[in-house]
Amino acid sequence: MNGRTRLVAIGMHLILTVWTIFVLAPIGLMLISAFKSQAEIFTKPLSLPGSLNLSAFQRAWNIGIGSFMLNSLLVTVLSVAVIITTSGLAAYVLARSEAKVMKWLYILIIASFAIPVQSVLVPLYQMVSGGHMLNSQLGIVLPYAAFGIPFTTVLFYAFFLEFPRELEEAARLDGCSRLQIFFRIVVPLSGPVVASAAIFQAVFNWNEFLLALMMLTEKSVRTLPVGIYGLTTQYSSDWPAIMAALTIATLPLLILFILAQRHFVRSLAGLGK
Amino acid sequence: MSQSPSRMLDRWMSAGMLAPALLLVGVLVLIPSVLAVVGSFYEFGITSQNWVFVGLGNYARAMADPVFWTALKNNIFLIIGSIITQVGLGTLFAALLDRGVRRGNTFYRTIIFMPVIISSIAVAFVWILIFDPNVGPLNAVIKGIGLTPPRLGWLGDPNISLYMLLVIAAWQNVGFQMVLVLAGLQAIPKELYEAAALDGAKGWRAFVHITLPGIRNVLMVGTLICIIGGLKVFDLVFVTTGGGPANATQVIGSYTYLQAFTLGNMGYADALSVILLVVALGFGWLQLTLSRRG
Repeated sequence: MNGRTRLVAIGMHLILTVWTIFVLAPIGLMLISAFKSQAEIFTKPLSLPGSLNLSAFQRAWNIGIGSFMLNSLLVTVLSVAVIITTSGLAAYVLARSEAKVMKWLYILIIASFAIPVQSVLVPLYQMVSGGHMLNSQLGIVLPYAAFGIPFTTVLFYAFFLEFPRELEEAARLDGCSRLQIFFRIVVPLSGPVVASAAIFQAVFNWNEFLLALMMLTEKSVRTLPVGIYGLTTQYSSDWPAIMAALTIATLPLLILFILAQRHFVRSLAGLGK
Repeated sequence: MSQSPSRMLDRWMSAGMLAPALLLVGVLVLIPSVLAVVGSFYEFGITSQNWVFVGLGNYARAMADPVFWTALKNNIFLIIGSIITQVGLGTLFAALLDRGVRRGNTFYRTIIFMPVIISSIAVAFVWILIFDPNVGPLNAVIKGIGLTPPRLGWLGDPNISLYMLLVIAAWQNVGFQMVLVLAGLQAIPKELYEAAALDGAKGWRAFVHITLPGIRNVLMVGTLICIIGGLKVFDLVFVTTGGGPANATQVIGSYTYLQAFTLGNMGYADALSVILLVVALGFGWLQLTLSRRG
């Protein structure tokens, strides 16, 4: 390696390192501030905490982060399960049918993919409140599912089109019905695309804020994003407790991400296809 | 003929397999968007059932509402700004990871992608702390090197708050664009570069003639994602500035929410969201035609 290419290589590392530090600094600040005392936040904004002070975590926990997390977990798991099941079934039928109606239904699904949740805020609120589903977990799981289905169906549809049909034909000759073929042949071989879709929807719904803000107004049913938002309006000057709450909310997903980062990256980049 | 009962069964089964997805999307996505259009022709409150028909009145009101135009302008500013920062930096980092840097590849990619999975609420609060005039580390650093931080605060000064939102959005989303472009770069067959090198095309010329055409589609998808993201932006604005100071950072999403749930002008909020819907469907259609071509 001659001098010039070496210099270029160092320059490239430098650019990436600068952005890496820029990315890590706020995350580091969150972690460090969670261990500080309220006095330290005000007097020494740039220094490390004097001691490993866990009282902020305790305050955050006592405010109800634990129940927000359980609610988030429940809502995320349920909505992802509904999205994957319903989209998988629908996409399979759409991908295997030649009928003209099916083409139109598929186009309808694509069109609904382009409808942002912001465009239906008022009617959705009225429907959910009219059905007495405000402040209920089911009340929010259903719209989460409905807005997750179009993208997931498009993703599955593309996968099923490429799926080898010989296997399905063989099963059909053996007398399997469409539903049996789907569950015995197609599902067991769809692991990667299901994982991709599940990760994408889980990240999205775990972090969803707008619908949750609108529909979950009672503290006992709030998910993490609205729960933390409500907390900060109440304890606006207790920065260590807020940062501790953010740490508790963010860390599980971050750890999961670092362990399975290859799958995460592939899944979330799949959106571009 | 012997097949027909099983064919009938198949048809019913297909309908049954389609029904749950279509029912959910129909009832909770498609019908509400039609209701939003209907509601936009009326005036009504959150709880009042007294709907007053106003025709195109709510749209006329939007056209005459300076805050609506500020909000739209801010959406456009955030769209253009995020295309430049996010697609720009994402492409730069992807290029460095794909061809420049050999060691630490996974490390850089993992860290730079990390903010994508953090909730925008958490991101917003950490940055509120960073920008805080009293306890924020940014002001401490600025004062430490002898400069004066903005008097009204980073998020409180209407001249700079929108730029600060752009910084936060870049912090969170550059990693996503990077991974998108990286996937595009890795799909370009290496033989193309080897063949070009034999013809004497290297460095910049190889970039213009092989790399750019190879990732053209990916860049367009990335740009469209910035456009749609910039149209839909809500969480970040709502939590950091609430659309303030004095509506300086208001966007259509936050303004719709304000009109609907704070001021109770549900019909006007419907009109605002229908305008957003039309623009979003337009870009959705563009994405579809572009991806068909690609």
